[in-house]
Amino acid sequence: MISSLVYRVRKRQRYGVALALLVLTAALSYAQSSKGQEAAAAKPVAASPATVEQIQAGKALFASQCSFCHGRDAAGGESGPDLTASPLVEQDVHGDKIGVVVRNGRLAKGMPAFGNVDDQQLAALVSFIHDRKANAKEGRRRTVDVADLQTGNAEAGMRYFNGAGGCAKCHSPSGDLAGIGGKLQGLELLKRMLYRENERTTEPSKATPTATVTLASGQTVSGKLAYRDEFTIGLIDSSGWYRSWPVTQVKFTVTDPLEAHIEQLGKYTDEDMHNVLAYLETLR
Amino acid sequence: MKFAKLFPFAVALVLASAFCRLASAQGLDPATLLKPTPDSWPLYHGDYSGQRHSHLSQITPANVGELTLAWAFQTGQAAEIKSSPIVANGILYVSIPDHVWAVDARTGAQVWLYTYPPNEGLHIGHRGVALYKDSVYLTTPDDHLVCLNARDGTVKWNVVLADVKTGYWTSVAPLIVRDHVLVGLSGDFDNLPGMLKSLDAETGETQWTFYSTAQPGTPGNPSGGATGGNMWITGTYDPELNLVFVGTGNPTPVLAAQTRPGDNPWTCSIVALNPDTGKFVWGFQATPHDTHDWDAVEVPVLVDGIFKGSPKKMLLQASRNGYFFVLDRATGKALLTSTFAAVNWSKGVDKDGRPIHNPEKDPARDGRLVAPDEGGATNYRSPSFDAKTGLLVVSSRDAYGIYFSKAEHGTVGWAGADYGVFGKAVLRAIDYQTGKIRWNHDLGGGWASAGVLTTESGLSFTGDSVRSVIALRTSDGATLWHSAIGHVGNSPITYQLDGRQYVIVASGGELFAWALPEKSVEQTGSHR
Ligand code: HEC
Ligand code: HEC
Repeated sequence: MISSLVYRVRKRQRYGVALALLVLTAALSYAQSSKGQEAAAAKPVAASPATVEQIQAGKALFASQCSFCHGRDAAGGESGPDLTASPLVEQDVHGDKIGVVVRNGRLAKGMPAFGNVDDQQLAALVSFIHDRKANAKEGRRRTVDVADLQTGNAEAGMRYFNGAGGCAKCHSPSGDLAGIGGKLQGLELLKRMLYRENERTTEPSKATPTATVTLASGQTVSGKLAYRDEFTIGLIDSSGWYRSWPVTQVKFTVTDPLEAHIEQLGKYTDEDMHNVLAYLETLR
Repeated sequence: MKFAKLFPFAVALVLASAFCRLASAQGLDPATLLKPTPDSWPLYHGDYSGQRHSHLSQITPANVGELTLAWAFQTGQAAEIKSSPIVANGILYVSIPDHVWAVDARTGAQVWLYTYPPNEGLHIGHRGVALYKDSVYLTTPDDHLVCLNARDGTVKWNVVLADVKTGYWTSVAPLIVRDHVLVGLSGDFDNLPGMLKSLDAETGETQWTFYSTAQPGTPGNPSGGATGGNMWITGTYDPELNLVFVGTGNPTPVLAAQTRPGDNPWTCSIVALNPDTGKFVWGFQATPHDTHDWDAVEVPVLVDGIFKGSPKKMLLQASRNGYFFVLDRATGKALLTSTFAAVNWSKGVDKDGRPIHNPEKDPARDGRLVAPDEGGATNYRSPSFDAKTGLLVVSSRDAYGIYFSKAEHGTVGWAGADYGVFGKAVLRAIDYQTGKIRWNHDLGGGWASAGVLTTESGLSFTGDSVRSVIALRTSDGATLWHSAIGHVGNSPITYQLDGRQYVIVASGGELFAWALPEKSVEQTGSHR
């Protein structure tokens, strides 16, 4: 069904089931809070063992706010990953990792920020996710294992890389792509090889588009593209400052280093794609 | 008053209808739904045709640059407004999950707020409310239909549509046809049949239920073992044919198809139903045997006109799977099939105008690169049809995703995995006579959520993918006005009150009302 990037928990949202229990858990955490109030504040979630009620409260919250993307059982839904198979959930201790993702989101990757979730609600969500992880059935729904992707022919992939694919024009197995098969595996490598959008917004890389703006005075300014819509162009100049101009008052060019990757998406057959992946996996 | 001399009869009519309106004391006379007045936007699509086109022409390509903020309304909630507001009798009704506001359509001042109790259903979005006489109808995440008194937002009745525990939720804006309130359910994560219910507008009693896939407990296997096909976007209605047209969602299990061979009717389809009985009249499948979550719920737009030389009653749909269809809406037969965005998943089009399923592009253990992605070539955001130019203006995307499915993913609900790779949002104007794209307007990003409104004066209002509401010239897509209010999340509407035309869009939890400065309204002297 649908999906949406902008989707936040409402302010002051209250949940029938959650509410009663939260009074309970609040009482619980109050009893424990005298020794480590500050620590508790820094780590968003109460460290008490999850109660059945807390898990139930988390389930209700998760159902209404998260399940569309992550599935009611947290094992993956429309756009969100299987949390029961998530390394981040694996490493999470009382919400120290999950809390950060839930509160800040990863907007560029489709995970909204739930800035208004209060501590008890977060604790309930975290305990529900951990409970699901502990009780997840065999045969998870959204996992893609490295073994699943071993169907390509590396030899053919190398030929495509150097020939029809035109990859060698920009890449070299002993240069920029040396060791890529060791750094990235499976689905991560496949996604990176196809297109690298997500990294663009967070940390500037070789994939970040650059802009050159020619001012009315004739002076030119170049740098990483920082903003663009049909009305305004913005970049980070050589001294690190953000600068922007109305597009009607300057001339500009934008170079997107990933233009070739975008075009390539329309050219790949699934076989070529798997072969190239197999080839990249040999670059360890 | 020179009109009076020329058309005394017309004046008598106007007076008579004015009197009727007084007599109906602020309620919405269901008969006006057949011909909405310029001071209203009484249905989700503005009228029954689904064209989202307004005959108002005070705001024109020449003066749109002067648009100014008439008012803003802040819900104070973090949930984004995705709904299309309803306007009648000077009051505007807007919703998010569990909330409806009535606000003064002239000023944006709140008249009342109704809040539904906290509940477990899915809160992904809300599409809007419906209005009939003095009642407002609201669907809830936990599958209730609540009837409110339109005066003050108090509850008249509240009925259960389905059991939320089974996995259904509701977000749809109901469609009113005479005394029928038509409500479709949502639910993708469990293997549930698609349901559209008709309820009595006065009592809330169920009049009929249409199942798009096999109703539990029925003999035979009409859908090839598939469930799903939910009808979660408001349909359209042709009073002459007395048919309601509604799009149906994807089959379940969603990505795994081994348990549901065949075409899986009537999932990913447009169906025509008799609104009085719920009887199925015809169906057209936009995606036979879907394996990519491409609901065909997008608005079935009704257009009357000449097609290849002869007058036709048509139905247009720009579908999530990247195909554009023109159907004869009396018969459901395809008149034209074309693509309007990047598509790599079919083996062409069959003799009946349906795309041909290509099993090579079904989700697989090692992944398939598919265009469009799961978000689709378009989605719930409304397109708009402009009769003068013959253009359907659609917010579209060229997008690629990788689709996985393996036995271990099971056969319930999603039953697979898919990941978006790249997308580019482009507003496109499709010439319905040829299926050709007349113009493209780059929306500047990968995602799009704003619908489109066209007006008689030749304007198209929508939102870009960055952070602006924009007005374009419908004939060529040139930008004439914008305002950086943030990402527009709903489909725009318009109405005219006290001689002033308002265009309403939502961004985040706020509604914005745009109009010409009051001074210019006086100067142009437009009182239509
Ligand atoms: C609109 C869809 C959407 C909603 C709603 C949503 N998520 Fe997410 N979530 C995502 C996506 C997409 C990702 C993966 C982001 C990425 O690729 O880094 C994600 C990632 C996460 C992760 C990190 C997983 C990992 O392995 O890195 C956690 C934890 C998480 N979500 C929890 C939640 C919780 C709790 C809620 C409800 C309060 C929620 N999400 C609601 C889409 C969503
Ligand atoms: C016109 C130049 C160009 C062509 C042709 C091209 N790429 Fe790239 N590719 C890039 C750029 C630029 C990046 C981003 C580099 C970065 O982020 O370090 C990139 C990134 C990558 C990455 C990720 C590298 C990393 O370290 O994260 C892979 C893998 C890759 N490309 C594979 C390919 C393959 C396979 C082809 C051929 C089918 C190809 N590219 C064709 C320019 C190109």
